[in-house]
Order: sequence, then structure tokens, then C-alpha cells
Amino acid sequence: MSKQYSIFITALFCLFTFGFGIALILSPSRDFSDQENRFLAQFKAPTLDTLRSGKFMESFEDYVTDQFPLRDQWIQLKAYSERALGKQENNKVYFGGNGTLFAQFQVPSEEELEQKAGYVNKLGANLDVPVYFSLVPDKSFVLADLLPANAPNVDDGSTIEKARGLCGDGVTFVDLRNALAGRNDFYRTDHHWTTLGAQHAWEALRAGMGLTGQAGDTDGLSYQGLSYTQVSDSFYGTTYSSSGAAWVEPDSIYTVIPEGGTRGRTTVDRYPEGVAIPGGLYYPEKLEVKDKYAYFLGGNQPLCVVKNPDAENGRLLVIRDSYADCLAPFLSEAFQEVHLFDLRYNNTSLKKYVADNGIDQVLVLYSAANFSTDQNLFKLGL
Amino acid sequence: MIFSSPYFLFLYFPIVLTLYYISPLRWRNLVLLIANLIFYGWGEPVYVLIMFLSIAIDYSHGRIVTRCKAGGNDRGARMAVASSVVFNLLLLGFFKYYNFIAGSLAAVGLSFLPVIDSLPLPGGTIPFTLPIGISFYTFQTMSYTIDVYRGDARCQKNIVTFGTFVTLFPQLIAGPIIKYKDLDDQLEHRDHTVEKFASGVQRFTIGACKKVLLANALGPLWDVYLATPSAQLTTLGAWLGIIAFSLQLYFDFSGYSDMAIGLGRMLGFEFLENFNYPYLSKSASEFWRRWHISLGSWFREYLYFPLGGSRVSRGRMVLNLLIVWAATGIWHGASWNFLLWGLYWFVWITLEKLWLGQALDRAPVWLTHVYGVLVAIVGWAIFAVEDFAAMGPYLAAMFGFGAGALDTDFLYYLRNYLPILAIAVAAATPLGKNLWHRLPERAQKIAFPVLMLAGLVFTTAYLVDGTYNPFLYFRF
Repeated sequence: MSKQYSIFITALFCLFTFGFGIALILSPSRDFSDQENRFLAQFKAPTLDTLRSGKFMESFEDYVTDQFPLRDQWIQLKAYSERALGKQENNKVYFGGNGTLFAQFQVPSEEELEQKAGYVNKLGANLDVPVYFSLVPDKSFVLADLLPANAPNVDDGSTIEKARGLCGDGVTFVDLRNALAGRNDFYRTDHHWTTLGAQHAWEALRAGMGLTGQAGDTDGLSYQGLSYTQVSDSFYGTTYSSSGAAWVEPDSIYTVIPEGGTRGRTTVDRYPEGVAIPGGLYYPEKLEVKDKYAYFLGGNQPLCVVKNPDAENGRLLVIRDSYADCLAPFLSEAFQEVHLFDLRYNNTSLKKYVADNGIDQVLVLYSAANFSTDQNLFKLGL
Repeated sequence: MIFSSPYFLFLYFPIVLTLYYISPLRWRNLVLLIANLIFYGWGEPVYVLIMFLSIAIDYSHGRIVTRCKAGGNDRGARMAVASSVVFNLLLLGFFKYYNFIAGSLAAVGLSFLPVIDSLPLPGGTIPFTLPIGISFYTFQTMSYTIDVYRGDARCQKNIVTFGTFVTLFPQLIAGPIIKYKDLDDQLEHRDHTVEKFASGVQRFTIGACKKVLLANALGPLWDVYLATPSAQLTTLGAWLGIIAFSLQLYFDFSGYSDMAIGLGRMLGFEFLENFNYPYLSKSASEFWRRWHISLGSWFREYLYFPLGGSRVSRGRMVLNLLIVWAATGIWHGASWNFLLWGLYWFVWITLEKLWLGQALDRAPVWLTHVYGVLVAIVGWAIFAVEDFAAMGPYLAAMFGFGAGALDTDFLYYLRNYLPILAIAVAAATPLGKNLWHRLPERAQKIAFPVLMLAGLVFTTAYLVDGTYNPFLYFRF
């Protein structure tokens, strides 16, 4: 290498390293990443304590990666590059057919499943009212045809099969697999089911719980004569966030049951901190932010009660995860009160809650993935 | 601190470069020393004390050896060398092997040594962990006193210069293991030319690409098969896994060495090479002349030759080989599988010295290549599967005693990793280098900056995403 050429190479390298280093220091820090749907690490000035313990160094490393200039673009470049190398996954997300993204599913161990099912059985034994138990099959089970060929770490239905076998006498299992399998019931970019998926599940639940009353339409395009309305065409879900797959088109969100229910008298009480606050089935303002799934019932909360004085059945307690958010409008069509209870944020004794609120039926409804990983299910058996 | 991280590449190193080059020549070692200590203390600040201790002890022992020799006191000089070796081995022994020894003794019912979880310090305790790079720098400082005694190296009277050698950050935590005598002149005086800097840039970029784009890409494939329960391992799956590991370790380790050599050049140093296409080896002995060259040469010079090497009776030579390979094995980590791995190499190398080598000389070249690469790959299974309960079944699966030939997961992983495996295999040979040298100079001049920028850009993308970036030598 000649001297001049060496200067050129040296300058190029220094421009790159010094350039991004200076840009990192000078550019203002972002609080939140829309693309990744999480808060980003911030610079924290060192103290003697954090220096000595090494905590400063750890937080500094996170700060540099999180606040790196053009972070979103780098992540997308990596995803593109993985795809170009023939990879069918990135950051534990499979690139499926039709632009469908699948988070990998960890099949739970037998012991884990036995333990969790044991909690449900204990709930059944503790209560005098009927207890139903149902698991939402993972998207990788429902849309298995769209998975990359031979993909490992998917839901083959065996988790639900086993859970069903583990159900004791006091609990009735409602299998949703046939109601959903092969149907286009999940968002392409998110792990949740769509409103349509919730409707399909609702039909299966109605049958499984032996409810009478008006059945919904089965063509999947309408509900009791009401047709589906699009409320958003720009939903990028959490699976998209971790995948970096910028080439994937956004999802649309549809609803079918209007605010206030089909008979117009449905009300919602939210209990974000123990005191009732009037709410609604839908939160249009959430369609303006990244996490648009919170459009349904407004996002995670310890307790939410949906009331419909015109319904034919009594009071249902649903112990649930976020999949119930868009199922709630359907449930409230049939029950005068639907109590949505999230064990992650609510430590109230279930036995007491059922007695105090005159609950008639209980439904434990989790996604297969959450059921095997949630660490709060032991509260069922207390 | 590790090189393959955004904070190193975009903040620490640019700052060090700036401070280094704006300082007058005579202050540059001091600037480096301070930079080295920050680099080392980054992960575990308290362990910087080990650095100070190491510098102080080896510096003073070097001085004592010199003084004794000057005074004709050979016995005193020998004592000083012995004392320095004992100190370094104690340091290494305590931090690296103490809990291993205590645990192993307890396992056979001799639990008189308590297992240590934390170290008491004024103002609290710290977890008792292996200080990063300790196996590298204790070997370097040991060689210093020995070489001063042997007259191969001059005694360093300036403690800053000596400290710079002990802590030199480019090669502090993952090698190459540099002997003082190879760096002596450069510590006192080194050329800082822009040509050297540019060639360092080139080397560093190649190393970063090897580590971040190849090794990190292959690691998850090995992790899959390492985590596969023994009963589910298939033959092809086991081979796919261990081939992924073989390539991951090579690109990770040689990538680090390349980055070290590159960073060294940017600071005016010239380090010796550490890898030379090891998977081209035609025998076990050749593999160790191509793999981690600085370690093999260290053991040859400071253990094998002093034991008498091969210029002794056949039986004694086998014993010498046994000692050297047991030591080489256990150097790689305080665990029985590393010892077994060392003995595995002892068996092959001894066989080659006794008769297999002559047979290999007569064998077709392709066969010797297959032999060389297979010996290495099978060895990696012993190296990488630390749990003995899993190692046997893993090896058994490789040789057809597993859960069948292949499974559907294998088809998925093969389909997904085939392109990167093909690139990695090609990159483990001099193919790319040969093609590069065939290019006309003009094309090289245009391609070089383009490839370099592309390498830096993709490396940055994979680092910023940063989901998988392990440091493999925390056990060394």
C-alpha cells in the first residue's frame, strides 16, 4: 500500500468509528423504541458504588447499543441480511408464508404442565360453581401450513392434548383446536388472535359451556348480521417488533360488535387500582400508538368488569391473559357480567371473589404459550 | 471489555487512539498502560489489583534475576526464577483451579477444602470468578523471568514499560500469548507509520467479520445440538452440530487474534501470527502447528524442551508428551473434559511420533486431510460437551449409535445454515486469499475499501442487534 492509499484507508476507518461514536454522544437519547415496543436504556452517570460493582459498565453497554445512531435501521439491515443468507428466522421469529411471522413456541415439559394443570384442578375443587378451562392454541398450530418446512419449536397441539388429559373431575375442558385450526384467525405480525379468531373461539366456548341463546354466523364474515369493520390498517404487532422483518406489511384490525354491545346497553368498569373507572370495549386512541392491540379494553389491567343487563346468563369470571381482551365483547353478549381477572396484577383470593360477587361460572382461559410460562398460576390453587 | 462490542469499537478505541497519538512518544506507554487498566477493569474493577500485583512481582523478580546473574550468583537467580514461576502458577492455580480441585476432592469424599463463592474485600465481598484472560497473562509474565534468566530477554528497568507489556490490551484477554523477548524492542521504540496503521485496519476488519459475521452466526446452531437431549440426537444432527462448533471456535478465536494483531499494528506493534488455516492440517501434529500457535510454542519452549523434548529415550519422550498434553488440556479450563481432551491429543500425537506419521507420509494427500480434520472435529466434541453424561452419547451419536440417521429438525437446520456453513468452510481455506491475489492491483484498490466498509457496516448491524455475542474464553 502506498502512503497516500494508506491515508485514505485510515481516514475511512476513522471516519466510520469516530463518526458513529461522536454521533452517539451528540444525538439526543430516545426514551422508547416504537419498532421494538420497549423502553430504551439511558445514560446513567457513574457513582463510586456503580463503578466498583461494575453496574455502571453494564448499564453503559446497554446504553450504547440501545441509543446507537440509526439503531432501527441497523436491526432491519441485519434482518434483511439474514433473509438474504437463506435464513427462515431472525431473533427467534420464523418468516412464514404470506408475510406471516411466528414467534418460536417452547413446548413445555411434562412436569411444568402437570404443575400448572394441578393449579386449575385445585381451583375446580375449591369452588362450588362450574369451572371451565380452555387453552388458545399457538399461532404455529393454527397456521401450521404457513410455517417454514420442518420448523422446530412449534406448537403441534400436544400441549393442549396433554392439558386436556390432565383435567380433573371438577373442571370441564373446552378444546379450541378444531374451531381455529387452519383458519385465518391470527394477526400476521402479532401473537394474538384477531377478532375473527375470537369469534371462532367463542362459538366453541358456547358449545363447550352448554350455553343457549343465539348462535353466531359461521361464514366468518359477520356476527349476527353485523359485518366486520376495519378500524386500523397499520398494526405492527410484537412478533414483528422482535423480528426486524421490515419487509412485512402491517396488519389490519377489525371489530364486529359495536361499542356498547349489539343491544346498546353494555358498560365497562375498569379497575386499574382497585376503584371502578368507567371505560369501554374499545379505545380508539390506542390506534394512534404502537401497541394497537390495546384498542381492545385498553390494555393490561388487574380487573375489568363488562356488564350487559340484556344478556341471558348470569355472571362469568374469566381468569385470563391478553387474548381475552378481544373476546370480551362476545362473552358480554351472553353474560350479564363478565369479570376479567388477570392473575399477574391481581392478588385477590379467587374463592372470596367468587363468593363476594355471586359468580355463576368460571372460565380459565390462557394461550398455550402463556399457560406454560406464567409464574402466577399458583394463585389459582390458593 | 471485548473488541466485538459497539462501546469498544465506537467509543473506547477512538478515544484511546486520540489520546495515544496526541501524546508525545515518551508518554505513549503510560497512556497505553492507563488505557489497558481501564480495559481490564471494565468487567471486574477489583481484579485490576491482580494486574498491579502481577506487574510488581514480575518486575521485581526480573530485577533480582539480573542482579544475581551480574553478581555471579546463579543459585540466587534460579531461586528468583522459581519464585516467579511459583507465584504465577499460584495466581493461576488459585483463581482458576481452586474450586475445581476442592470440588473434585469433595466428590471423592475428601471435603477438607471449602468451596469459595465470594472473596472478602474491604467494604463488601465480590463473587469469586475467574479473572478474564488470567491464563494468557500469567503465561506471558512467566516467560519474562525465565527469558531474563536464560539471557534471551533483557531486564526491563522501567516499570511503566513493563506494566504496558503485562497489560497490553489488544492481546490481554484472548491472546496471542506474546513472549516478552518478542516485544522487547517494540516496547522501547516502535514505528508509527500510516502504512502499518492501514494494514492494522485491514486485519482488524477481517477479524471482526470472522467473529461477528461467521462465528456468531454459527454459534446458535451448535447451541441447538448441545441442548438436544441425548436420546434425541441423530447421527447427521450430531455431525452438523459439532461441525458448526468447530467452525465457530475457529472463527471466533482466530478472529480475536486477527483483531488483536490489527489493533496492535494501529498502535505500532507487530505481534506474531496465531493461526494458519488449521483445518488444512494433514496430521494431529500439524494441527497444533497451525492452531493457537502461540500456546503450542509456549508449551514447547517452557515445558517440553526443558523436560528433554524428544531427544531422550522413547519411554521418556512419551512421558514428556503426556505431561505437555495434560497441561495443554487443563489450561483450556478447570474441568475434567479439558484434561481428557488434552489426553486425546496426546494419544494421536504420540501415535504419529511412533509409527502413524510414517504411514501418513505414504497415504494419499486427500486421505491425510480427511484424517487431520476428523481428528480435530472429534476432539472438539470432547472439548465442547463438558458434561460427561452427555459427552459419551454425543460421540456415540456421531458414530451411528444415536436416535437414527436424521430427524426433521435436522432438515430445517441444514436448510437454514447451509449457506453460512458453505461460506465458513470456504473461509477456513486460503481460497479467498488466493482469489484476492489474482485480482489485478487496480481492482484490489477499488475492492478493498468497498469490502472493508461493507464488513464494518454488517458487523455494526449484527453488533447493534446484539442478540448473540458470546465470549468463549471465559474459562481459559
